[in-house]
Amino acid sequence: MEKQTEPSSVYEVFVQRDHLDPMIHVGSLLAPTSELALQLARENFTRREQVLQIWVVPRIHIQSAEEADFHAREMDRSYREVSGYTENGRLWRMFKEKEITLEEIVRYVEQKKQSKNDLHREEGHES
Amino acid sequence: MDSQLLEEEFVKRVQSGAKIESNDWMPDGYRHLLIKLIHMHAVSEIMGVYPEKEWVPKAPNLRRKLALMAKVQDEMGHGQLLLRIVEDLAAPYGKGREELLDDLVEGKVKFHNVFHMEARTWADAGLIGWLIDGAAIINQASLLSTSYAPYARILKRICAEESFHMQHGENVILSIAMGTDKQRKMLQDSLNYWWYSLLFFFGPLETTPAAQKMLHYRIRTKTNEELRQKFLAKYVPRIWSLGLTIPDPTLHYDSKEERWYYTEPEWKTFQKIVSENKGPKSQERIALRRFAQDQHKWVRLAMTTEV
Repeated sequence: MEKQTEPSSVYEVFVQRDHLDPMIHVGSLLAPTSELALQLARENFTRREQVLQIWVVPRIHIQSAEEADFHAREMDRSYREVSGYTENGRLWRMFKEKEITLEEIVRYVEQKKQSKNDLHREEGHES
Repeated sequence: MDSQLLEEEFVKRVQSGAKIESNDWMPDGYRHLLIKLIHMHAVSEIMGVYPEKEWVPKAPNLRRKLALMAKVQDEMGHGQLLLRIVEDLAAPYGKGREELLDDLVEGKVKFHNVFHMEARTWADAGLIGWLIDGAAIINQASLLSTSYAPYARILKRICAEESFHMQHGENVILSIAMGTDKQRKMLQDSLNYWWYSLLFFFGPLETTPAAQKMLHYRIRTKTNEELRQKFLAKYVPRIWSLGLTIPDPTLHYDSKEERWYYTEPEWKTFQKIVSENKGPKSQERIALRRFAQDQHKWVRLAMTTEV
């Protein structure tokens, strides 16, 4: 057996737990081929956990950003974030309305049936 | 197993909530509907950039310009993410990105009616961000439960990015609503111009055979009218609270029937805009898109050919 780890034998392992989840990196392992890497990944990482899919990727095929400032933010970017618009809540109250969030819309659309109270409110008659 | 049985099995699976991945077996009908829906969604994201990018040079201050540019970048990004999904679906037909984009400039794929309209004023630009994006968010939120998993995953990401769009649109509208009489008049004029386009955005009242098929396959889980009702419930009270008048005297909520009544848009007129690209800005924007596609061909080549 060789003393040093052969770089091409390192595989990074990703699992997907639900159809709506992305692939998530869970660790790495050593294997001589990608087929065996897949077998080992199943044994090492999903002995108990039920997963939908496993990916093994040779580490040598992964390109990552080496320079520290690759992710640097050169200026304030709050104009492209929700946090840049926190005054909306206060402004809506001036018009006697509440602020609205995306999460609220998603919940509202996915809801099977709206409660009577919600409808009453949405109708615009504040009680 | 014969194809009839496979199809029945497939329908049973999706109707019980199963999710389909791109490599799973799927009926041709399912694949065609997905390609049609997501292709239209993708090119609508791209064409949706035009009305807003027209306002980048004219936006009232630097922060608004930056925010508009960020939206343009997001929407182009959404177009790319969605095109990737269509490419995987269309791979068995040998159709790739180049052809999918050509379809747009050749008028072979439709895009949403609202992006055929003119963004005449800063209030229009704001209203697009508030109500058009609002309508699009309701539509996209309803698709989060689609049976096609790759689409659902990308929509999750798109919706997360839309939350900034929503706040930005509201912020522009709120500042105009707090402005001078002239500015408030501009806002009212904008609502008058966009209202029926907004109602049309959700599609016809009746469930067409194609829409029925999408519900059958759980590609969609809500009808056009259900989504339009949700839009009205969320947005009408807010429009009213700003002191604006909706240009429809018949608009009202019937609390017994728990539904909004409204004057329907002129379906045929709006349909013509979409199916024949005959809106006020359709041809000009498609021409710009064609120009961009030609001019940037070398970039696409450089990005797809190995050196």
